[in-house]
Amino acid sequence: MKMMSEPKTVLIIDDDSDYVRAIQALLESSGYKVRSASNGRDGLQLAKTLEPDLVLLDVMMSERTEGFFVLQEMRRIPALTDTPVIVVSSIYSDEPAFRVDPEAGWLPASLFLAKPMEPARLLAEAKRLTTKPSDSSAVAAGGRSL
Amino acid sequence: MKILKMAKRDLDLFASVLPAFGEVYAPVQRGEGFAFEKPSLWSDVRMNYTRTMLPPKKLLLPPRETTFSFNPDSGFKDLVAEASKPMVLFAVHAYDIYGLNILDRVFAQAKFPDPYYIARRKATAVVGVDFVPDDKHTAGSMNADFVDHGFDLFLSDIGEDYLVLVGTSRGDDMVVMSGCLMQQPTEADFIEYKKRSQTRRAAYKTRLELEDLPEILEMEYHSKVWDEFGSKCLSCGSCSMVCPTCYCFDIGDEVELGSRAGRRVRSWDSCLLKTHALVAGGENFRGARSSRVKFRFYHKQRGFVAEYGRPSCVGCGRCVAVCPAQINIITVIETIRGERDGNASGATASS
Repeated sequence: MKMMSEPKTVLIIDDDSDYVRAIQALLESSGYKVRSASNGRDGLQLAKTLEPDLVLLDVMMSERTEGFFVLQEMRRIPALTDTPVIVVSSIYSDEPAFRVDPEAGWLPASLFLAKPMEPARLLAEAKRLTTKPSDSSAVAAGGRSL
Repeated sequence: MKILKMAKRDLDLFASVLPAFGEVYAPVQRGEGFAFEKPSLWSDVRMNYTRTMLPPKKLLLPPRETTFSFNPDSGFKDLVAEASKPMVLFAVHAYDIYGLNILDRVFAQAKFPDPYYIARRKATAVVGVDFVPDDKHTAGSMNADFVDHGFDLFLSDIGEDYLVLVGTSRGDDMVVMSGCLMQQPTEADFIEYKKRSQTRRAAYKTRLELEDLPEILEMEYHSKVWDEFGSKCLSCGSCSMVCPTCYCFDIGDEVELGSRAGRRVRSWDSCLLKTHALVAGGENFRGARSSRVKFRFYHKQRGFVAEYGRPSCVGCGRCVAVCPAQINIITVIETIRGERDGNASGATASS
């Protein structure tokens, strides 16, 4: 008999409750277990407890660079060092002067997606990042992995 | 040296790219004081701090560090590679950068270079920031309120913006990586810088005269003043621990119980501690507290001048702030110069 695999856990850290509700519904309809936090400190605490399979992280929350700090802090925690993180933000459209190439290597994220994003792209990337190479051969192309 | 400017409101964005250059340490509030620590959020960082409780020395010459380990089975393991972890010291005052430059002379440029210190210093980026002196700062008198090297970037407050001095190619990389946050300064920015620089210099409440101090110290070597200060000193060593340029350390091997494996550990020491000059056989070259107090001041203000051409005090005011007996360098220098009564009770900074 084939064992059903455990649903993958996604943690959304974002202060936009409408966005969180929409993305949560999208991910849950695709079989993910979703938890959320509305600020960086709570998100970090939840990440330590949950050790999620994927984190969707906003940047501009109560502070403009909150997500960046959360990401740096996450990478200092051994259990979260390799957790895939998709930074989802509109920072570059809100802060045009800060148009740093996300590929420059300073952001220890798995992927950077600009808001608004295509739901299909998010699902494809979530599947790719939460699928271990040994789990399946269905690893989608695209995105940047560290 | 390249000079640029950056809007203060963009400092958070700038700080968010710094982790590309290493683990970021910045001044954050700890109780009533400040400390160089890893900030959890940008709002933790305090740009307008007076002084941190411990200088950035604590990160380059840790209070306690294992230099190597040994094991009869696996052999010797040098831990110098551990010291090469990239780090960014953010918002460091000029006198603390000056302090690092002095440690460089001792640990990197002297006869016996220290590989652990050198590895850390090379892997450490330094972003300086200017400060407004309080009544304990004497950096102006010590010529340590301005630095022309030892940093990658230096930020000077000019109101809505910071003037950014680029000191190294690594600093230039930081500028490039921060995208378009940096702009070319204008003539008006330079005028504002000069105005604020003058205001900052005038803000020192304490002035110390260092001219001919080494000679006066030579004359006062047997002065009773040292007995008076010695009778007050508690020999706690706090002044050395918080000093950005005190670098004495002790070395010992720690061997695991029931094993021949162990490690070599070095830890901060202080010339104020009674055991500092204690040698085998029980002889103590500075057994009296007065001789230890005297030694510290002579080393800072006389011995270092003879060796390196300047005192090793940078005027940060930390020793003034922490001494439980309220012995302070300002009182000591003024007393030894004969500018105040020869009693060690005066602890208040003169203006």
